[in-house]
Amino acid sequence: MSPFRVPGRGRIDPDRPVAFTFDGKRVEGYAGDTVASALLAQGRHLMGRSFKYHRPRGPVTAGSEEPNALIGTRRGPGRFEPNTRATMQEIWPGLAAESQNRFPDLRFDIGAVNDAAHKVLSAGFYYKTFMWPRGFWDKVYEPVIRAAAGLGKAPSERDPDRYAARYLHTDVLVVGGGPAGLAAARVAAEAGQRVTLVDEHAEIGGTLLSEPQARIDGQAAWDWLAAERDALAGLGVRIMTRTTAIGYYHQNMVGLCERLTDHLETLPEDMPRERLWRVRAARVILAQGALEKPLVFHGNDRPGVMLAGSAQTYLNRFGVRVGDRAAVVTSHDSAYHAAFDLHDAGSAISAIVDVRTAPEADLLAEAERRGIAVLAGHSVTGTAGRLRIASVEVAATGGTGPARKIACDALLISGGWTPSLHLFSHTKGSLAWDAERQTFLPDRITEACHIAGAGRGFWGIGAALRDGAAMGAAAVAALGGEAGARDFEVAADRAGSGESRTELPRGRAAGKSRAFVDFQNDVTAKDLRLAVKEGMRSIEHVKRYTTNGMATDQGKMSNINGLNITAEALGRAAPEVGLTTFRPPYTPTTFGAFAGYHRGDHFEVTRKTPIDGWAEENGAVFEPVGQWRRARYFPQGDEDMDAAVSRECRATRASLGIFDASTLGKIEIVGPDAAEFMNRMYTNPWTKLAPGRARYGLLLGDDGFIRDDGVIGRLADDRFHVTTTTGGAARVLNMMEDYLQTEWPDLKVWLTSTTEQWAVIAVNGPNARKLIAPFVEGADLTPEALPHMSVVACRFDGLPCRLFRLSFTGELGFEINVPARHGRAVWEKLMAAGADYDITPYGTETMHVLRAEKGFIIVGQDTDGTVTPYDAGMGWAVGKNKADFVGMRALMRPDLIAAERKHLVGLLTEDGTTKLEEGAQIVLDPDQPRPMTMLGHVTSSYRSDAMGRPIALAVVMGGRDRMGEIVHIPMEGGSVSATITAPSFYDPENERLKL
Amino acid sequence: MTISPSTLVPGIIAASDAATVTMAEPVARFSLRAHAAERETVGGALGLDLPTQVGHVAGDEIEALCLGPDEWLIVAPEGLAERIARTEIDAAHSLTEITDRELTFRIDGPRATELLTTGWPRDPDSIAPGQGRRTYFDGASVIVWRDGPEEWRMDVWRSFAPHVVSLLATGCAELVAG
Repeated sequence: MSPFRVPGRGRIDPDRPVAFTFDGKRVEGYAGDTVASALLAQGRHLMGRSFKYHRPRGPVTAGSEEPNALIGTRRGPGRFEPNTRATMQEIWPGLAAESQNRFPDLRFDIGAVNDAAHKVLSAGFYYKTFMWPRGFWDKVYEPVIRAAAGLGKAPSERDPDRYAARYLHTDVLVVGGGPAGLAAARVAAEAGQRVTLVDEHAEIGGTLLSEPQARIDGQAAWDWLAAERDALAGLGVRIMTRTTAIGYYHQNMVGLCERLTDHLETLPEDMPRERLWRVRAARVILAQGALEKPLVFHGNDRPGVMLAGSAQTYLNRFGVRVGDRAAVVTSHDSAYHAAFDLHDAGSAISAIVDVRTAPEADLLAEAERRGIAVLAGHSVTGTAGRLRIASVEVAATGGTGPARKIACDALLISGGWTPSLHLFSHTKGSLAWDAERQTFLPDRITEACHIAGAGRGFWGIGAALRDGAAMGAAAVAALGGEAGARDFEVAADRAGSGESRTELPRGRAAGKSRAFVDFQNDVTAKDLRLAVKEGMRSIEHVKRYTTNGMATDQGKMSNINGLNITAEALGRAAPEVGLTTFRPPYTPTTFGAFAGYHRGDHFEVTRKTPIDGWAEENGAVFEPVGQWRRARYFPQGDEDMDAAVSRECRATRASLGIFDASTLGKIEIVGPDAAEFMNRMYTNPWTKLAPGRARYGLLLGDDGFIRDDGVIGRLADDRFHVTTTTGGAARVLNMMEDYLQTEWPDLKVWLTSTTEQWAVIAVNGPNARKLIAPFVEGADLTPEALPHMSVVACRFDGLPCRLFRLSFTGELGFEINVPARHGRAVWEKLMAAGADYDITPYGTETMHVLRAEKGFIIVGQDTDGTVTPYDAGMGWAVGKNKADFVGMRALMRPDLIAAERKHLVGLLTEDGTTKLEEGAQIVLDPDQPRPMTMLGHVTSSYRSDAMGRPIALAVVMGGRDRMGEIVHIPMEGGSVSATITAPSFYDPENERLKL
Repeated sequence: MTISPSTLVPGIIAASDAATVTMAEPVARFSLRAHAAERETVGGALGLDLPTQVGHVAGDEIEALCLGPDEWLIVAPEGLAERIARTEIDAAHSLTEITDRELTFRIDGPRATELLTTGWPRDPDSIAPGQGRRTYFDGASVIVWRDGPEEWRMDVWRSFAPHVVSLLATGCAELVAG
C-alpha cells in the first residue's frame, strides 16, 4: 500500500487492486477508487493544465463540480473521451487515462508561456487585441486562436458505443442520495408512492460516505446507510446510481443521464454506454446538498490546494491522505473537522488559518488537544511551489507585521457552502438572498417540487434528515396521501457556521494578485474588477466579458465568489447585483446520450412503399421526399440520370411506363355533408360531380395561395377519395381537421387517412389499357364507360381495387389502388404482362419531366407559398359561383389580382440546347446596371426527349402578357436568353388522352 | 437493429428472455365515426355497444376501441371485412376500411411493459388491461392495446413499422444485456 493510503479506512476494496495507466505510466489503485483518489494515494496532485494560462493544476474537489482535474479516457480504438473529471471516473483494469492541455508533457508544457504573459491576457483580451487590422482576423487571429483554444482533444473516430433512452413515470423523484434524499424517499415510499431515487455517484449516501463518524439513531452512519438502502429496495424504490439529473424541464420532466459501462472492465454485449431517461414525476424533491466554496487569494490554484470537505472525502471514502503536512485556511467551521480527521489519520497539520477573528471555543479546544496551531484573524497572502504547493504565506489581517511562511504539501481551503440549486434554477424558480447564511436560497417555486436539506440551508446530517423527511411528507400530502414528520437522533454531527468573504486581504498590490475565482476558465478577482472598471454593470455582462462561470462546470465553484467580488467592486449589495442563470445540463453530457437510439439506420424514420423492395432489387436510385424514399430513376447498364430519364420518358410516351405512386397522400372524406365540406375546402365545385367521376382539386390557404393539389374521385354521394401531394399528406389532413373541428363542427363528415391502406401503381402510355384489361373484373374500361378523369371500384386480379383513369403525363393513364399488402405482387404481375409492350418502370424524375412537358405544376416546386390559382394559370379550377371556400376572400384582394403579379409561363432557350438552372433569376435587360430588376425565376427545368430540347417553367412578372418576349437569365459565364411561351409544351390539345 | 420491410411477415420478429415481439396475422380494421346522437344506432347496426370513454374497448368477435368522442377503431377477423363494410347503417356516420394501413405486433414477456418505455412517452400504469390508446412510439403514431399486465398489441402504420420494430428489437436485446 502506498504511504498515503490509510489501512482500514474508506470504502475501497483493499482485496481488489486495480491497475490503470495515467499518461502511459502504470498506477495501482483499488476497486472503488476514482482516477483522482488513486493518483492522490500515490502522492500525486498534478493532474492537468489550465485552459488559458496552462498553469499546473490538481483536483480541488472530489465530485462532479471539479474544474481542474480534467482528463482524457480511452478504452481501445474509437473509445476516447476528453474532459472526463478525474474525480468522477472510476478506475477499472486497463483504463488508459491521460492529462490534457499540455505539450509535450504535464510537467513541462510549452503553453505555459501564456502564464508569463498573463498581464496581457486579461479579461476582454480578444475583444481589444484582435480587432485590427480587419483582414488579419480570418487569416491570422482566428486560426491561431482556434488552434490554441479548446479543452482537451475532440475524438476523431466514429463512436462505436450504443446509447439508449427510456421514459419513466414516477410519483416522487428524489434527486440526490444523501441524508435528505434518503429520508425523503423513505417517507414517500412508506406512504405507498412510486419513488425513484437518483444519485450521480457510484453509490448512494452523499455526505454520509464522507462522515462515517456520525451515528444515526444509535447506528454508525455506514451501518445505518446499508440498512436504509435495503429498506428502500424492499419498499420498491427504484434506486439509480451513476445517474445525473441533467435538466429540469417543463411540467416536471426531468432528464437523467445514466452511465452504464464507463466503470466496467469488459463491455457486456448489447449494453448501451449511457441511457437518457425522460422522467415525468408528479413531485420532485431536490436534495442535491451544497457545494463547498473556495477562498480567493493569491496563488490559490496550485496543485495541493483543495477544498477541505473534499480532503475529508478522500480520507473517509477512499482512505487517502491528501498530504503529509497540510495547512488549512478557512472562514467556516467545517474545515476544522477535515483537519482533525487528517491529523487523526497520521498527517501533520501545520496550521489552521482562520480568517475570522473569533473561532468557536470548542473547535479551538479540539485543535489544542491535538497540538494544532490556530491563527485566527489571519489571511493567506500567497503560496509557493511549482508543480505542488510547498508553503503558504500567512499574515495577520489588518496587521502590519511581516508575513509568515508555513511549509505544507497540501492546503485545505473552505469559504463556506453554497446550496446546489442548479436544477431548481432550470425551473425558473426564484432565489432570495439569505443574509444570515450569506447565500441564495430557494424562494418562489414554479414547478411541483420541494427542496430539501442543505439545498435550502440546513447544514448538518440531522437537520438534513429531518428536512428530507418533512419534504417527503409534503410531497405525499401534495399527492393526496398522508405521512407524518420523522425525527432522527444524530450524534457526532458536524453542522457548523461560517462567514462569506470576497478576495482575502492581500499582501501585495491588487494588480499583482493572481487570485483565481474560476479555475477552469482562469478568471481572477482582478479580471472581475477590471470588467467593472471598464464599464460592465450587469452580472450577465461581467460574466461574458470575463467568462467567469462559463466553463463546463458552469460556475459551480465560481459563481458566488464572482458575484461577491463584482458586487464589492460595484459598491452594491450582492442580492442587488443578482445571479446569472444556470442552464441544463447540470454536468457535461455526451452527444451520444442525447441522440440515444437515433443514429445510423435509426436516425430518422424512412418510410418505404410496398413496392420499394422491388425498386431496390432492380437498381433504382432513390431520393427522399418528405419522410419517404422514392425511386428516382432506374438506370440500366452505365446510364447516368439524364440517359435513364430520357429512356424512361421515351418508353412511356411510345408504349407503356409503370410508376409507384403509393406515397401520394390519400384521405377518405365520408358523411352526408361530404360534398359540402369539399366545396368549402377546395376551390373547385363538387356538388355536381357525379359518383364515378374525378376532378383535379386545388387547395388554398386562407391567404389565397396554393397549398396542395390532387385528383379527387367521388365514390358515392357521401364518399370522396382525395389524393394529396406526397409531402403534403399530413399537413392537408391537419388543416382539414382544423377547419372541421373549429369552424364547422356541425358538419356530418369525417376524415380518415388512407394513404397506407392502398398501394398505388400508375400505368401510363398508349398501351396502358391493353395492359390492365385482362386483370380487371367488374368494370367497363371503354372510353365511354370510363372516360378521362373517372374512378371505378372493381376487382383487379381478384383483389378489391379502386381504379382511376387520370393522367399526370399527358398519356392515357390509370392508377390502380389495391390493398397495400398486395402492392408488390400486383406490380410484378403487371411487369410480367407488360413485357409485350416493353413496359418500362420509371421514377420521380421522369414523372417530373413528363408533367413539365404538359405544364402541370408541382406544388412546392413551381409554387412557393406566394402563388395564387390565377398566377398559376389555373383560374379554371376556381368555382365562379361558389358561396365560399378557403382562400376565396383573399383572392379578392387588389394585390392578389394585380396585373403585374408573377405568372407561371414556359421558357424555351434561344439556342435550343442550354438547360436553364432551376432557381435562376430572370431579367429583361442583361446589360442593365446592378442590382438588376428581377422579373422572376426558373422553377422547373429539364431536357425533354419529347420536345427534342430543354424546356423550363418559370414565374415571370406579368408573364401571360409577355408571350413571345425574350428574357435573359444571367449566369456565371454569360447570360442565357429565352422566349416566354405558354407552359404547356407537349400535345397542348390533349389529343393523346383521347384513346 | 435494422428491420427491413421485407422481413415483416407474421411470426416472431425479435425475442429475448425479457420480451417477444411477434407480427400478428392480418385482421380487418375500420375507422368508424359518428356523432353522439347517432352513436347507438350506428353501434347497434354493427352489433356493438360503442364505448363512450376514450381508451375503452367493447365487443367480442368484433372489437371497438374508443379513440375519441366520435371515433372508434373496429377490429375483426379478416373474414368479416366484407360483411362489416356492407352493413346497412341508417344514421349519419363514416365507416372506412383501413385493414392494410397498419400492421399489428404483439409484445409480451416478463418485461414487455418495460420494453415499451424505450420509445413510449406515456405512463403504462395509466392503461388498464383490456384498454387501448392512440399514442406515439418513437415519433410514430400508433395504437396500443393492453391485453394483460405484460401483454400488449401495437398497431403501426405500415411504413413506420420497420422503424418502430427495430427499436423494439434493440430493446429486447438491451433489456437482457449485462
